[in-house]
Amino acid sequence: MTDPVLVIGAGVAGMTAAVELADNGVKTILIDRKSTIGGNALELYKAFPTDDCFYCFEGNRWRPGIRKCFYRSAMVDQPNIDLKTDTRVKGISGTPGKFSVILDLGPQYVDPKRCTLCGLCTNVSEAFLLASPQCQPQAVSYDPEKTDDGAKKAEDECPTQAINLSAIQTEETVTVSDIVIATGYHEMKPSVVDEYGYGKLPNVITQLELAQMLDPNGESAGALVRPSDGAQVKNVMMIQCVGSRDENYYPFCSKICCVFALKHANIISSERNDSRVSVVYMDIRTYDQHERYYRETRDAGVEFVRGRVSRVESQKDGTLDVHVYDSLLNRYLKFTVDLLVLSSALEPPEAADELLSSLGLNSASGYVGPADPISENEVVAGEHVYACGGALGPAEVPESVNQARAVVSKILQGRK
Amino acid sequence: MTETEEKTGPPVTLIDPIDMTKLDPKFRNDISSMPNGEELSACFACSTCTAACPIANQWDYMPHQLIRMILLGMRDEVLSSKEIWECLTCFQCQERCPQKVRVTDIFFDCKNLAAEEGHVPENVLALGKTLVDKGQLYEVINDWEREDLDLEPEVPGLSIEGIQSILKSTRTGKLVEDGE
Ligand SMILES: Cc1cc2nc3c(=O)[nH]c(=O)nc-3n(C[C@H](O)[C@H](O)[C@H](O)COP(=O)(O)OP(=O)(O)OC[C@H]3O[C@@H](n4cnc5c(N)ncnc54)[C@H](O)[C@@H]3O)c2cc1C
Ligand code: SF4
Ligand code: SF4
Ligand code: SF4
Ligand code: SF4
Repeated sequence: MTDPVLVIGAGVAGMTAAVELADNGVKTILIDRKSTIGGNALELYKAFPTDDCFYCFEGNRWRPGIRKCFYRSAMVDQPNIDLKTDTRVKGISGTPGKFSVILDLGPQYVDPKRCTLCGLCTNVSEAFLLASPQCQPQAVSYDPEKTDDGAKKAEDECPTQAINLSAIQTEETVTVSDIVIATGYHEMKPSVVDEYGYGKLPNVITQLELAQMLDPNGESAGALVRPSDGAQVKNVMMIQCVGSRDENYYPFCSKICCVFALKHANIISSERNDSRVSVVYMDIRTYDQHERYYRETRDAGVEFVRGRVSRVESQKDGTLDVHVYDSLLNRYLKFTVDLLVLSSALEPPEAADELLSSLGLNSASGYVGPADPISENEVVAGEHVYACGGALGPAEVPESVNQARAVVSKILQGRK
Repeated sequence: MTETEEKTGPPVTLIDPIDMTKLDPKFRNDISSMPNGEELSACFACSTCTAACPIANQWDYMPHQLIRMILLGMRDEVLSSKEIWECLTCFQCQERCPQKVRVTDIFFDCKNLAAEEGHVPENVLALGKTLVDKGQLYEVINDWEREDLDLEPEVPGLSIEGIQSILKSTRTGKLVEDGE
């Protein structure tokens, strides 16, 4: 029997690869270091290019039970997928086609097969968390660092005895034929770019934080409010290219931040009637069909200022005074805003370099580089090693899904 | 939690920014609701209009900057600018704008608004006065030129009275009257 395929990372790219391999009869081990799968897309509200809910992409709609919750049941129920959450790669040895991978399985404090999301534990202890009502696997997660007296009570009283606080870390060695790297990206915490005051001024946030604020399932139930005092936000300013296209941080263009910034600007100006949005940019890069977001936001009255910020100053009433140099007018402008949103660089995820070096792969500014830079097979990272989605560099969901499918097709061809 | 007064960036004393709260955010709507102003908001500041303009290098505000100032709400600066009056109305900017912004027409709209608010440059008013008073801008005074060409001294069929009386009841007539 042929060995299974290992997919590292269960974001949209990894999930697509896993489910399509599994549907083609290939046994697949899908691991993610988090306790909930979905990756970055879990935290987003509406998605370009269709402005649909993030979990409904055409082509997956036929799959029962996943309109609203893409791959919801497939990941857990597809018999060819062996999903392991809270799991990392500890070491890789062997030869291409027959890799031996040591997996580090985090302690299974909550058994997802038993948890019914009854809510008892989250009521009695701060250490338990329901990441999202649509989370997969359908289980709460437990953070031992936050443990409190209630945790023990939860363990004793859990109606399905799903909790085991004394669970320990385990190791497992698997033999796999191919490795798919789908470890995605991470939004840079822009506190290092200190002119914007991120981390010091509570009303300075990132686009990913804004996405969570706009999400009706989020903490503020979709209301646009100032983190400092919960006041209604009337004026929003977005700053593009924070940490991207900057040799001091990341030299590359993060490619999708212009599109999602404008997506957010559109949502704010069409759904939050009283709010005004200004976007400070160097270039607006809305590639392909996404130019429509640029046109639509201009029509909606979003203000575009080509230039950079000179200073950010917080005022007693909770607003921020932002001075911007407008390079088209050659004048300085002073804005008063409630929320300053930074379009921060999309960087390789933590520990990406370890994975690259353990497999001897090329690095492209820290992301997985193609094995052969001049071939067109960007998804081929090495012999029997593939990469797709954000792991190759900033990418939108449709592109990530296409790359995952390209990987699947490569693996299937290799098995013929 | 209230914010502490944190500051980032260079000292403010060296910079005198335009305070956005003092501008007129409705100005863009005023212009875009005027004839041929609809596409105003489509401008993405590419500056093609300025590249096309045969006269802009003589100006303080370039055509793309004027459009930008309208979008920002710099009503007073735009309506009192000399540029909108010096525009040659050659339509090159409008012809080439990739977003179909009717730049020249928008400058006409600006002139109309400016005129309504009484911002008409002296030399333009003087021209208007000549038109109203004389019924024509260029009077034929050098009769000898016509003579040299064997033409009769008076321009045949020239009737300035009609023009004068029409002009008197237009905005031009009104402006000249107010200006006196
Ligand atoms: C603010 C914002 C808005 C966006 N809006 C849109 C949009 O509207 N439309 C659109 O198409 N795209 C949008 N995107 C892009 C979209 O989020 C990505 O295209 C998509 O999430 C990429 O999926 P992925 O599976 O490649 O990576 P990720 O979603 O990053 O998933 C990677 C997974 O791998 C796991 N992982 C990482 N490293 C390891 C490791 N070493 N071991 C084990 N597991 C690991 C992570 O825990 C994660 O679950 C947006 C992005 C941002 C930041
Ligand atoms: S008490 Fe048990 S079943 Fe209920 S949510 Fe917690 S772990 Fe799940
Ligand atoms: S996509 Fe836009 S904001 Fe992001 S790095 Fe590129 S130009 Fe800058
Ligand atoms: S050419 Fe058109 S889009 Fe470009 S700056 Fe001029 S008005 Fe704006
Ligand atoms: S119409 Fe006016 S602004 Fe436009 S190109 Fe001609 S002179 Fe310049």
